[in-house]
Amino acid sequence: MAVNIIITGVGGQGSVLASRIVAGALLQHAGSDPQYRVRVGETFGAAQRGGSVASHVRAGSVLGPLVGEDQADLIVALEPLEGLRIAVRYLKPGGTVVLNTRAVPPTDVKAGYAQYPALEAILEALDRLGGKVIALDATALAEEAGSIKAMNVVLVGAAARTGLTGVHRETFLQAVEDRVPARFKALNLKAFDLGWQCAGEAT
Amino acid sequence: MHQIIAAKPGQRLLLMGNEAIARGALEGGVDLVAAYPGTPSSEITETLLDVAEDTGIYAEWSTNEKVAFEVAAGAAIAGVRSLVAMKNAGLNVAMDTFMTIPYGGIMGAMVVVVADDPGAHYSSTEQDTRVLARYAEIPCFEPRDQDEARAMTAAALELSAQLELPVFVRSVTRISHASGDVTLGHVPARSPDPGFNRHYGMPFRWGVYGPPGATSKHAWLHRTFPQQLAASEQSPFNVLTLKDGARVGIIAAGLGSAYAQDALTDLAIGENCHFLKLGLVNPLPEQQLKAIIRASQMLLVVEEGDPVVEQEVWALAKEHNPDAVIWGKWKQQAFLPYGELNGDLVRNAVARVFAQDLPACAARSEMKEKLRKLVVPRSSTLCAGCPHLGSFWALKMALRRFPGTHIVNGDIGCYEQGGYGIFGQAVKDGPERKQKQPIRSPYEILDTCHVMGSGIGLAQGQAQAGYREGKVLAVAGDSTFFHACLPALASAAWNNADITFLIMDNSWTAMTGHQPSPTTGNGQPVFDIPGLAEKLGAKIWQARAFDLEQATETIAQAVAHAGPSVVVLTGECALQYIRRERPGPGLTQVDPAACTGCKICLAVGCPAVTFDNTTKKAGIDAVQCIDCGLCVAACPQGAMSAGGEDHGS
Repeated sequence: MAVNIIITGVGGQGSVLASRIVAGALLQHAGSDPQYRVRVGETFGAAQRGGSVASHVRAGSVLGPLVGEDQADLIVALEPLEGLRIAVRYLKPGGTVVLNTRAVPPTDVKAGYAQYPALEAILEALDRLGGKVIALDATALAEEAGSIKAMNVVLVGAAARTGLTGVHRETFLQAVEDRVPARFKALNLKAFDLGWQCAGEAT
Repeated sequence: MHQIIAAKPGQRLLLMGNEAIARGALEGGVDLVAAYPGTPSSEITETLLDVAEDTGIYAEWSTNEKVAFEVAAGAAIAGVRSLVAMKNAGLNVAMDTFMTIPYGGIMGAMVVVVADDPGAHYSSTEQDTRVLARYAEIPCFEPRDQDEARAMTAAALELSAQLELPVFVRSVTRISHASGDVTLGHVPARSPDPGFNRHYGMPFRWGVYGPPGATSKHAWLHRTFPQQLAASEQSPFNVLTLKDGARVGIIAAGLGSAYAQDALTDLAIGENCHFLKLGLVNPLPEQQLKAIIRASQMLLVVEEGDPVVEQEVWALAKEHNPDAVIWGKWKQQAFLPYGELNGDLVRNAVARVFAQDLPACAARSEMKEKLRKLVVPRSSTLCAGCPHLGSFWALKMALRRFPGTHIVNGDIGCYEQGGYGIFGQAVKDGPERKQKQPIRSPYEILDTCHVMGSGIGLAQGQAQAGYREGKVLAVAGDSTFFHACLPALASAAWNNADITFLIMDNSWTAMTGHQPSPTTGNGQPVFDIPGLAEKLGAKIWQARAFDLEQATETIAQAVAHAGPSVVVLTGECALQYIRRERPGPGLTQVDPAACTGCKICLAVGCPAVTFDNTTKKAGIDAVQCIDCGLCVAACPQGAMSAGGEDHGS
């Protein structure tokens, strides 16, 4: 058994931290079972600021760090276009997409060389790919929690609510606490809850 | 305290491969670490620098990989345990020393970690370090995952101490930059006791020319081969599993063995298949290879990089099972001989060897192909407020004052993006040998880019060849200048090459994650690049990257100078400025009444400048903008107003 998750966004949005929280929760869940392994395949490091970033999180009886084509049970998109970019290749028919509706247009679009697809077109495409979509304005919810930077944790909260990871809410909350600076703990726990609630209403 | 030393042996942590390698180094009793940053290897040394004070080890950033290699080799010749880490291309820089150290070896222990980059995510090439292990005739480990990366680094230090030879650990991007569960081992107490003996175990041990000469040192290296082979045959990282009645054998190395194992699980055919998992890949375990070759009618070799294992399998099969059908990436291609592997490719190859049909859905592929058209590209750019944007804009304006087709040679660093282009913009190639190409943005300003320091060397060749159709220039960053440009600049001055060299000093080794460079300071004296370049014999100019007028004028003067000229352009990396100063949202604004929609501000290439195709007006993304003032200075209409203080001031 394995769970395959991809967390994607634009460099600087915090998708790497989000993937660390999810993977940390999964490892806690694994305990000392040597057959239950956790893998995070990440792309970052060289001038990826503003570029596409995707972290593949896999857990269970897995060894390789990458999710296969049409194999993602869950895609967490910090940005709609990046969600579509990943879903077109990796979404399993019947899989779930947790999507922040707030667009970050690429330079190509800002400079007028390409056109950003309408949100409705992205949602329709995800539907055609067989995705169950939970769309939310995570940036607004993060602002409500106290900082737009906690947008990633809002989405982690929403992703946790789907139950697809098999990990308990308390394990997730602990993983958030373990990985954010102490002074932002309350803010991030609130952000997690707002995402959790929002996904609960959506499903 | 870093988690790799705060946690206890037996504890299970989620570690990045590079952190796992750092932990393995401590478990192997490492005393000294040296490196030059290079993606995807940098976090090995960053982690060890983090724990240096708490553990008492010595760790440093050296100015390049050759120096780092020599620092580690020197330490090992003095009898302590050392580690040097680098990216694939770093080994090329260290090559000269690297090839000779095995001739006589070392007295302590020395591990060379090289992070290869199949798929060339962060590198100029896909070169395979295992080939270099054969070339230098030293052992090479190749981990399957992060926990093996930890265990192998410790084991490599042990094997190195035993053989008195440097030993490789070959990582790849998807090991080094991926994370996995790692179970910590024991860290031994260290008591480094450096010593020296000129004739240790062999006359003139540390001088390849020392009598009776280099060939005798080479013969010594060959006398270690039986021990090297025994280590491979007995290694716990090489595991052979033969299954009764199986006709197919899979031989898989390193990360390839993770993909292959996943494929066997997915396809539920593990019971019908012999499996040789390789982790110590040079020298290869001959007995195990022979056994699986003899037992199989069909073989599939799975490995990242070149067909290194596969060619050995062909050679052995010729003698031991000439009828075996061998699949891999060499003669019978189950994989392409370039690019990187992934789970899908390996599963498809395994299914093919087992003649299994995988479910395919043409309708879905067709639909996906259509939807893919919606997914517009996201070009990587320099950051908002990056000093290189100012340098490139000033360079472009300065070059307009001179007729002809100029050549601007680049190299490796954030500024290499000056040659990436913007994906949304169409580019046409052409057969003409001479044709002027437009510079539509800073992302089209660099004409060549190969490796660290290559620009200033190539520029000299172009100038000395008699290129007179335009000016010849090169650019490099501060860290690259110290890494690879000093001999080239001395040569340019010595040979009076008519080139202009721009040194874009942003005070950090930014691209690899902001390691300090010799111009960072950090409590140490800041190296004087202009003084150094002048002493080497070049004519020097200096300007600030954020002052477009001054920078343009200065570059133009340097370009007009006949002979070697250097312009040092200073301005701190914007990301470091943001981390330190935490500025609020940008205050720079566009006056829509004054904006004519000319898009010149867009040509500055800053990701904080936007354009509304409906109103035909420029705008500013306040979240990204840090009020550097470059767009304000570039706007010919005066439609932009500066908001705050220029961060470079």
